[in-house]
This record gives sequence, C-alpha cells and structure tokens, in this order.
Amino acid sequence: MIKVNTEDYPWYPGMTVRVLLDEKLFTFRHIIVRVNGEFVPEEDYEKHPIQDGDDVLVLHLMAGG
Amino acid sequence: MERYLRNHDAISLDEQEKLASKRVLIVGCGGLGGMVIECLARIGVGHMRVVDGDVFEESNLNRQLLCSGMNLGRPKTLAAQQRVMAVNPLVEVDAVQADLTVENALELLEGCDAAVDCLDGIPARLILQQAAKAAGIPMVHGAVAGWNGRVCVIQPGEDLLNLLYTDFGETQGEEQQAGTLSFTAALTASWQAAETVKLLLGKPGLQGEILEVDLLQASVTKIKVA
Repeated sequence: MIKVNTEDYPWYPGMTVRVLLDEKLFTFRHIIVRVNGEFVPEEDYEKHPIQDGDDVLVLHLMAGG
Repeated sequence: MERYLRNHDAISLDEQEKLASKRVLIVGCGGLGGMVIECLARIGVGHMRVVDGDVFEESNLNRQLLCSGMNLGRPKTLAAQQRVMAVNPLVEVDAVQADLTVENALELLEGCDAAVDCLDGIPARLILQQAAKAAGIPMVHGAVAGWNGRVCVIQPGEDLLNLLYTDFGETQGEEQQAGTLSFTAALTASWQAAETVKLLLGKPGLQGEILEVDLLQASVTKIKVA
C-alpha cells in the first residue's frame, strides 16, 4: 500500500510515477510530483519506481489569481 | 449595529469588535483579490491594505468582481477602494498601486495581522511568503486554474509554497492553458476570506493542509502535508 495525497492506494511491483499518474487520471499538463518529499522531474516519470509504503504527493501547478 | 446583524451569532459581538480592529494585507486585486476584499469588507474587517500595480483589461471581465465596462484602463486598487467605500464606509482602505517586490514587501506587511496571497505569478507569491515569514505574519494562499482552485494557510516558517512551486523555476502554471473561470475564482477567494477571518479571530482553520477544489468533478480534498 502507498499513500497518494494522504489517501491509501494499492501498490504492486513495477509501479512507476508514470503508471500511477495514468491510473489516477491526473490530466493537467503541469504537475508536481514528490515521492517521500523529493521532487521528481517530468523526464524521470517513466523510470522513477514507486516502492511499497511510499508517500506520493501529486499536485497540479496552479498560480492564477 | 444593524449593518452586522446577520453576521450574528456566527460571529459574536466581541468577535465583531475584534475584526474591526484588524488590518489585512491583500496582494492582488484581480479574480481572487476582488472577492476577498468584498467578503472582508462586508463582514467588517476594519482595515485593509490592497496592493496591485495593474489596471483593468477587457480580459478581466469574465471573472474579476471589481472589473466592469466602466473602469477598463483604470487601476485595480482604485476600484477596490471605491467598492469598499460603497459597501462599507466603516472600513479603512489603504490602496497601493504597485507590484509586490523584495524591496517593498516588508513595508507593505507592516502593522498587518494577516496577508492574503491573491497574486497571479509564482515569483511574487514566493516573495510574499518570505516576507511574511520574516515579519512573523500568517498568510492565506489561493490559486486557480480552469475549474480547479487551491487554498492553504501558511504560518510563519512553514514555507508550504516551496512544496507547490520551488523546483519548477516557472513563473506561471496551468492557468496559462486552462484559463480562469468566474466561479472558481469566487469560490477559492471566499474560502481564502473565511480562513483569513478565522485567523483574525483565533479560530481553528487549515493547518499544514492543502485544500483542493475541483468544480468540474464537484470534489473537495484536503491533503495533509505538514
């Protein structure tokens, strides 16, 4: 099990940031991903593994006012 | 006072007096700021310092409460001051027509009990967070893009904006593509105003949490981050 934005989410071997984003339907073009507090750049989404127990934060980049 | 009759008992008489003694800095008088100013004026926050270097443009008409066909090309801060005067002349408004900068941020915060981040660019938001931290003043952040809005309360030293922005080095977000809708700005700003009033009154509010609103999905999510 992992945490995604503080909610439990089932984990399985081979899960990457890209897989998780696709499963969770995060659709914004600009997204901020942090795994256990560490920022993951977009070019690393495919190769960055998600481990069992990870705490993942996924936020849309928003700054409009 | 009859003006505030319908604030009670959600706001007690003592709390009403307390609000009248408070001063709030609102940075940005656009989609978020206009509604924050409206809400704080109507509820009876006694003093506001409103800051914005822009004038109204036609593209502001879709969402910005203070913008009308009559004041295009005129300073947003002037419209804010006139609006508050019309709605609640008991509120003192200090209008500053300038952009927030590293140089003026601390001066703008002087004497304020809270700051409300209604800006529309990332660098200025980070400047405000840094200055509010240095001044020991809590800050209420709001941001919107399309159907999505976000609010969080940042106590001095929490640096929550560093989670939302720092690693990108970008100046704008998804709003550049998604735009900004009237109800998203109004809802997000209303939430900011409520959190500001709670801060001023010492009521419990958002703490180490990011509030995410998605009006397309009709969902509200609180994400614990600290």
